[in-house]
Amino acid sequence: MNHTSEFNIPFRYKTNRSSPVLWILSHVRHHWFIFLVAAIGAIGNATLAGVPAVQFGKVFEALTTGEGGKQIFLQCAAIVAISQITRGFLQFQRNFGFEVTAQRIERDTRDEFYTSLLGKSMTFHALQSVGDLMARASNDIREVNYIFSPGINMVFGSMNFLFIPLIIGGRIHPALLLTPIAFIIAYFLAVIYYLRVLQPVTSKVRSSFGIMNSRIAEDMDGIETVKAAAQEQAEIDLFRKNIKTFRDASVKQGDIEARFLPMLLLALAMGFGLLHALYLARLGEITLANVITYYSALSMLLFPTNTSVMAYSRISLGLASARRLLAIMNTENNLDQNEHGYAQAIKGDVSFRNVSFSYDGKVNNLKDISLEAKAGQTIAVVGQTGSGKTSLIRLINRTYDPQEGHIFIDGVDLKDWRLDTLRSQISIIEQDIFLFSKSIADNIAFGKPGATQEEIEEAARKAQAADFIEELPDGYNTVIGERGATLSGGQRQRIALARAFLTDPRILILDDSTSAIDSQTEDEIQKAIKTASEGRTTFIVTHRLSQIRWADLIIVLRQGRISEIGTHHELMERSRAYRRIFSEDKQS
Amino acid sequence: MGFHHGLSAEAYDRQYTNKALVKRIVDYFKPHKTRLIFVAIVVILQGFTGSIPYLLVSKVLDEGAAAHPNDRILAILVGAVILIEVLGYVFFYIQQRIMARVTADVYRSLATDAFAASMEQDLAFHDKLSSGRIVSRITGDTEDFITLIRLTMSVLSSLMQSIIVAIILLRTEWRLALMLFIFVPIVIGMVTGYRKVARRVTTHGMRAMANVNATVKETISGISVAKNFRQEESIYADFQHSNKTSYEVNVKRGFVLSIVFPTMRTLSGISIALLVYFGALSVSQRLITAGAWYLVLLSSERFLMPILSMTSYWAQVQTGFAAAERIFALIDAEHTVVQTNNLPAQTLHGDIVFENIHFSYGVGAEVLENFNLHIKPGENLAIVGHTGAGKSSIARLISRFYEFQEGKILIDGTDIREFDIDSLRQQMGVVTQVPFLFEGTVEENIRFAQPDITREEILALAHEIGDGEWLETLTNGLDTNVGERGAKISMGQRQLVALMRVLARKPAIFILDEATASIDPFTETQIQHALNLILSQSTSVLIAHRLSTVKSADRIIVLDHGGIIEEGTHDTLLEKGGTYAELYNTYFRHQSLEYVEEAGKFLK
Repeated sequence: MNHTSEFNIPFRYKTNRSSPVLWILSHVRHHWFIFLVAAIGAIGNATLAGVPAVQFGKVFEALTTGEGGKQIFLQCAAIVAISQITRGFLQFQRNFGFEVTAQRIERDTRDEFYTSLLGKSMTFHALQSVGDLMARASNDIREVNYIFSPGINMVFGSMNFLFIPLIIGGRIHPALLLTPIAFIIAYFLAVIYYLRVLQPVTSKVRSSFGIMNSRIAEDMDGIETVKAAAQEQAEIDLFRKNIKTFRDASVKQGDIEARFLPMLLLALAMGFGLLHALYLARLGEITLANVITYYSALSMLLFPTNTSVMAYSRISLGLASARRLLAIMNTENNLDQNEHGYAQAIKGDVSFRNVSFSYDGKVNNLKDISLEAKAGQTIAVVGQTGSGKTSLIRLINRTYDPQEGHIFIDGVDLKDWRLDTLRSQISIIEQDIFLFSKSIADNIAFGKPGATQEEIEEAARKAQAADFIEELPDGYNTVIGERGATLSGGQRQRIALARAFLTDPRILILDDSTSAIDSQTEDEIQKAIKTASEGRTTFIVTHRLSQIRWADLIIVLRQGRISEIGTHHELMERSRAYRRIFSEDKQS
Repeated sequence: MGFHHGLSAEAYDRQYTNKALVKRIVDYFKPHKTRLIFVAIVVILQGFTGSIPYLLVSKVLDEGAAAHPNDRILAILVGAVILIEVLGYVFFYIQQRIMARVTADVYRSLATDAFAASMEQDLAFHDKLSSGRIVSRITGDTEDFITLIRLTMSVLSSLMQSIIVAIILLRTEWRLALMLFIFVPIVIGMVTGYRKVARRVTTHGMRAMANVNATVKETISGISVAKNFRQEESIYADFQHSNKTSYEVNVKRGFVLSIVFPTMRTLSGISIALLVYFGALSVSQRLITAGAWYLVLLSSERFLMPILSMTSYWAQVQTGFAAAERIFALIDAEHTVVQTNNLPAQTLHGDIVFENIHFSYGVGAEVLENFNLHIKPGENLAIVGHTGAGKSSIARLISRFYEFQEGKILIDGTDIREFDIDSLRQQMGVVTQVPFLFEGTVEENIRFAQPDITREEILALAHEIGDGEWLETLTNGLDTNVGERGAKISMGQRQLVALMRVLARKPAIFILDEATASIDPFTETQIQHALNLILSQSTSVLIAHRLSTVKSADRIIVLDHGGIIEEGTHDTLLEKGGTYAELYNTYFRHQSLEYVEEAGKFLK
């Protein structure tokens, strides 16, 4: 089967999505120049950091042997000054170089992630939680950024700082390699051990904090409930218990952090290094000046000791984030586009035959659904949350495919339709209406970008929205959203209806679960829905008795099955529960 | 990095004086007096173990450079260096362990006091401070404060070392030492100036980032809609624009932040070069030994670093003090609802009297003005009126959530202020407009107000509502997990759970602030059923938004601007054609079955 993406913008350059490391490397390859510049800065910085040690030795030599005099002092001091000033620039080159690399990679990975999202099917988006995607796009991508700065910046930097003492020591006398090498090995072992012991403890600290904090948040949000139930003391007792757990975990973490050996290892390394060098000096194999150079070089080991634990964990966190991102980018559940499928104008006959559907493959959200709706009819779908209403309507525009059974529009199985043709003639207005932070006119015209002002206003009139829009300060140009005007639920619903009018769908699916507070708004919404359902097959998921009463067909869903189906009169005769809804006395 | 702390700290208006704050803070540390004294000693000792090795190394060099170096002395000196370093580590270990306990315990007592205070506070307080801000004070501000303590400890530690190093330096070669000290104000000046620039860039950057983040969020949430309307290209253009802006803002910020350490490096490099030269001159003039020269070089780095970290310390002090202040403000906030006695409220009948009540929420106009009302035991009273008419206030005054300014409220003849508030509230059942559920099972939530009710009793109650059918629509019956705030079950089911809570309690007084959200008609029926059960058992005060609720009341009062303007049953009030009729037409008419039938005119 030939799968094509629904909408495809390939990303600017090729990336390797088979594993987190390869993926990130493919991005680095694209920015190789700036990365190289940063790396050179790092190497240069470290190399020049070793210069003072050598110069100190030279000066000391001159001081103790009495040769040289002011000349040597001046020369060495100048070399120190120039090398350190240059080093300052190189350090900047390193820092800023890695920072720019990090920002560029953040920008590009976010872009790649986004284009991949755009190319995914509606099925994918209906299944994904938006909050989840946003967390990936902001937090996880930020973690990838941190891989480079501070991550690689610090790790690469400290690697160099581990090397230079080795080079300096080795050039003085090969035996002097002993101490730094021993230190490096001991250091890595200590860090690995430390991280292994620390990880479960920090995990416990985080989770006990999370438990404590979310209960506090609940108590504050529900303070009225807590006070009404006179449970303040019980909650305080619970808090004491939670915070004790957190306190104990924190102390444990502190105890482990106190044991951070590398600092001690460094002190020991410098001490033994000094001893070793002195020994060699007393044997005459090296000079005392060499001892100074060696000792000063050893102090370079301080930088890696201080920084690396955090830097390594940053890199590992970043790779974990990359893995999460790749998991999403690599998901494929595009439905077959069926380019050569049935592509006619929809009349509007919809039928379900023994349809069963499940989101996760385990629990059935819909079981054995069969129904027949004629073109132009208004069908009310009633039921509790979780009864399967949303799944039912999403099957109609082929957001999902049923596991069992068939769905037909105009007698043609949905799978035989050309997907694009099908979707362009069906419009869904969701329960949570999403409007962009743009003007009302732009929102209404969203589906038909070239719409004229007249067309927009006509759609608004039909949706009973024109009145309230005209009362707003900027009318149709009023910007809505966080940075603009706030609209009530009923107003948003009518704008969404106007938006749908402009695209003139043959089948309209409306999730109408809002309630009007006042009768006038209720009247307007009724009118708008009526206008919207004229001449097109309309499925309304609703709680409104008036919509249910006057629908051409009523479907009552209960736990995934149709528990009642028919006209209002038929249901009144057949179902006691249904009669109860329409009676004054709710208890009979 | 600690250096970058406080770059984005917000301004906060201080209310407590520094002196008062310090005193309160000291109170929390008093129980740890002995531990702290011990730590102080250890810190001083650390000052020595951190600086003496340098001295010893310089002595080693002098000995080594002598004509006939004594190997024994050399060995002893280096041995001493190693031992002192190990000792220094031991001190570090002790200090960390003690401070871990002290900070954790102070955090615990502060947070507990803050939480307890907020639990005991009345609703007027919770109206002023959003729940998010209270939570942030209890955990976030306490955290900030503890960070300050930790930082103080580490700064004191480094400072100790710096002081001792400085003393050693001065005694070795005071001219060189002075040359080094001159750098201190230069460094501090530079860093302070730099922080100002960095703060400006960061604040500006944060504002820009807030906009960018909002756009990115929107373009992601909007993908579904964009696909629905096949507008992927235009939404992509929006995204790209903000992604690019984000990059530019961040690079600018990165530039500023990348400069500081390299600049320090350069400065310190110059200072070292100067020390090398002038130091060497001093040695050649026999003013100091070569070893002493090396000592100055070794300790200069050690001397400057703590100075650097001090510059970020001051900002952290501001943050920490502001945080402490917010916590104490929370703890010290006065209660407005105060009881004068604590009479038990065991068997109330539910006779409620309002006598000449004057009430306003704060600095606003009076919500209830000379208000009088008598609710008889067992009566079901519905309250209607426009928004702001004072309906909720009546309910809240009965549950003693707010304090009234003048007048009397009597419950079963006793002044409401004389009761023990917990025992009074246990005789009441309250359902708020948005029913609140804790994360946990349905059963746990029902049990919340009545901890000793058994599962069998709950099941029995559940079956009284429409044969318990509502339980079957939950995925796991009583054991269904409701999720955060009840998100995993429907609105209607949440209301049923809230009503079940009340049924479990069988209170003498029932208060309902009715939800306005729309619920499917089947659950609606069940809710009505549950409601009727409660109404038959208690004195009820119902702030009604549903027509069925209004109709089931024994008496309806119409409120306007804090006073009762109409009273009667639904039918008698409609006939009058006054405010009630108007309210009915605006808010209730569309809920009636007549309206549903008439809607046919629109829809057919």
